[in-house]
Amino acid sequence: MKEYNNQMGPYLKHNNSTTKMMINLLITLLPIILFSFYKNGILPYMNGNTNFIGLFYPLIFIGVAGVTTFLVETLYAKLFLKNRYDSISVFIKTSYGYIPGIFLGLILPINTPLSILILGSIVASLVGKMLFGGFGNNIFNPALIGALFITSAYSLVIANNGGYLNSFELDTISSATPLSNASAMTEIGSYETLVEPYGSLSDFFIGTIPGAVGETSAFLCLIGFIFLAFTKTIKWVIPVVYVLTVFVITCLIGNLNGLGLWFPLFHILSGGLMFGAVFMATDPVTSPTTPVGQVIYGLFLGILTVLFRFLTPYPEGVLTSILTMNMLVFIIDKIGAKSRLKFYHAVLPFLAAWLIIVAMGFTIGNKYKDTEVKVDPNYNILSSDKEGSTTTYVVTQGGYHGNIKAEIIIKDNKVTSINILEISDDFYPKVESANYIDELLEKQDNLEGVDTVSGATVTSSSLKKMLINTLKDYEEKNEK
Amino acid sequence: MIGADVMSGVRLPKRKKISIGKKISIYNKPKLVYIPLISSNDQNITVLVKKDDYVFKGSVIGRRKGNFKMPIHSSVSGKVLDFEEHTYLNGEKVKCVVIENDFKEKMEVRRTPNTVINKYSKEEFIDILLNRGIVGLGGAVFPTYAKYDVKSKINTLIVNAVECEPYITADFMLFKEKTEEILEAIDAILEINNIDEAIIATKKSNTVLNKLLTNFLGTYLKIKLVNVPNIYPMGWERDLVKKVKKVTYNKYPIEKGIVVSNVSTIFSIYEALKLEKPVIERVVTFTGEMLKEPQNILVKIGTPVSEVIESIGGYKRNKELVFVAGGPMMGVALPSDDLVVSAGLNCVLVLHKIKPTTLTECMRCGKCIKVCPAKICPVLIKDSVNHIDDLEDYRADQCIECGLCSYICPANINIRQFVRIGKKKLNERK
Repeated sequence: MKEYNNQMGPYLKHNNSTTKMMINLLITLLPIILFSFYKNGILPYMNGNTNFIGLFYPLIFIGVAGVTTFLVETLYAKLFLKNRYDSISVFIKTSYGYIPGIFLGLILPINTPLSILILGSIVASLVGKMLFGGFGNNIFNPALIGALFITSAYSLVIANNGGYLNSFELDTISSATPLSNASAMTEIGSYETLVEPYGSLSDFFIGTIPGAVGETSAFLCLIGFIFLAFTKTIKWVIPVVYVLTVFVITCLIGNLNGLGLWFPLFHILSGGLMFGAVFMATDPVTSPTTPVGQVIYGLFLGILTVLFRFLTPYPEGVLTSILTMNMLVFIIDKIGAKSRLKFYHAVLPFLAAWLIIVAMGFTIGNKYKDTEVKVDPNYNILSSDKEGSTTTYVVTQGGYHGNIKAEIIIKDNKVTSINILEISDDFYPKVESANYIDELLEKQDNLEGVDTVSGATVTSSSLKKMLINTLKDYEEKNEK
Repeated sequence: MIGADVMSGVRLPKRKKISIGKKISIYNKPKLVYIPLISSNDQNITVLVKKDDYVFKGSVIGRRKGNFKMPIHSSVSGKVLDFEEHTYLNGEKVKCVVIENDFKEKMEVRRTPNTVINKYSKEEFIDILLNRGIVGLGGAVFPTYAKYDVKSKINTLIVNAVECEPYITADFMLFKEKTEEILEAIDAILEINNIDEAIIATKKSNTVLNKLLTNFLGTYLKIKLVNVPNIYPMGWERDLVKKVKKVTYNKYPIEKGIVVSNVSTIFSIYEALKLEKPVIERVVTFTGEMLKEPQNILVKIGTPVSEVIESIGGYKRNKELVFVAGGPMMGVALPSDDLVVSAGLNCVLVLHKIKPTTLTECMRCGKCIKVCPAKICPVLIKDSVNHIDDLEDYRADQCIECGLCSYICPANINIRQFVRIGKKKLNERK
């Protein structure tokens, strides 16, 4: 009798492997890292805003985070997990310690000091992953744990260092990210106030807007998503449902306030939502395993993100939503498992989700409709003298750098002159050479339709607003 | 859409070409046969012979105790030598009757073949199925007579010619070579049992068989041919009924008036109706990359498999072999080639040893859930092996042990083993 190997079946094996999936993930991250190198390193360097080290700083930033998490994990395994793995090289090959670090580097503001980044990486690795039992056992997304730690404890330090904007953006754009700009306003905003300060929606899509190190390019996240979904590497249901939910709710809100399609698009393309949906929410270990569970997860992620964005002043809505839902994955998977055999188990969560979506859309939308459009807080009337049919205004309007002071004369219900008294905007000469003031005077009856001067968007926009606000005040006072 | 209507499964590599090159050969001269004293996985058998008894080919040498009194027949004529233990296809040792073949193929009563096989009454039909030991030859070895011995009306007979597991070609070759006989048997079964229609289910990609059958089916108005997709496990009774008749049932298909029979079982019914021949031999696929001459062979029950393999040229190499009784998904690797042929053995698969790959921890990707045909969640069951209440919630008892969860797992975890443990714990609790 010959002796044979009686290993357990099955004796056929599909050729997919964890290694292949991780490689696919790294391939997808490569263009994103390169883009962040371009936006945060090359652009400032070419514009003279930073030195040679600053050119490579984004790569250093991500690298430091990746190396730190890798070292922390390996050290922890060497000290505490000796009996679980045959050798440390087996651990390294199967634990993927650098992945949380790379993600952490991509979702933080570029001005995070390196020391804090290292501290956050240690927290991400220890608290987010190793203390739960290492790869496969963590409940929370480790990169998000690190990011939560950093943004809660050190937000002031980072803000003083420049916040989310890199040196190039600090030079060219007003000092806020699109979402902090949006949440600073009390009314719902308009295309000019939400989108235009940063360019157009295509800038949002490409990613040349202020934001975290690698979160901004929705375009690269989209092609990454297509690649990962096609190669069956990620749970593609989650980002689709997540982004769709945010789109639907913001569509409702925008619709109730007469805003066009740009409004929900603005919300999808900002705040690192695409990045969070494709890479953070689909982290296999911390997201639901059942198909129905993944749909429920995506629905509630969308609900929470909109809730945090509109009803709270706190930043990082995507981060908080994902961490909150991470806690509930266990229950969601139970519902998902039961509904696989009998679908009625899923009916209640779905109904609840859709009810909340519609309710949120209406409440938030109406809340904004009710707040009257207040007078532009950046606008101030210094003096207004009326003599007969002539009213002379001296007003200030917040411009690109500081205030614009001007004298506006309205005679016989028509603006006859605008004299700029004080302006410290470097871009004003461009506005002057475009004869913008004359254009404003000419089209004073339809100022909303007047374009801004390209290359001096904020300055010309402020001048336009100044005239609109003055006219509004004039109309109110004269009950025109 | 997301629920139980969508059928899960995976398109596996077929690997069938290597064993369909030549016609079914015959190996019918074993010196000794070892008839396993086991019927449908039940080893409670009344032994009806003792040492030095003379037995005829086809005589009853044992009978199952309990509710299904299925007989066990001798496959040769000769003297009973002894009782020994040999390996059965599930990997365990089973007591066997050792009979010395006198090569005379003597049968107790000589009968002439019946000219027609549809002139039996239903009672006679059931009696023949019982006393000729007809069992499901697709691997489940369920006593066939119990499927037909029902009071309710049978509307449809589904003939399972799908053979979805890779490597196995026994059903295909038998159907190809004995098409007319099998069709005649189907027609007879329809008439005897007053069944309205028969549906032969084959894979869409099985062009040879489909072409052959469409030539013959013109004469049989009640027999239809239905193609099913080439997805494992399409041959699983529950999914096959859902695909072909679009209905679901609780425990048995007869609840919806349907009976499913494997095509090789139908052929053994033909031989029983025509020649009163019991189940004493079957076609077994001897295949795998490590066999010199893979082929289908008609072998007697009780033949030692090692002898058969030697007669067809043996192995390509003698070290690092995996010797599997059954197919690659549901078969069991044995520690030696001590295996004896039984009614449930449809395939002997000899492969090269698969190198053990480094496992990573489960990364909860959810692929095992997507492929599970029983619609349970293998990864969640794996996590709750120690919590019996969770096991019940997750319906670990529904597992059909098809092996797709282990097949697809990127971390190379043998998930099926965990689900088996969970299933066993639940069954022990009952």
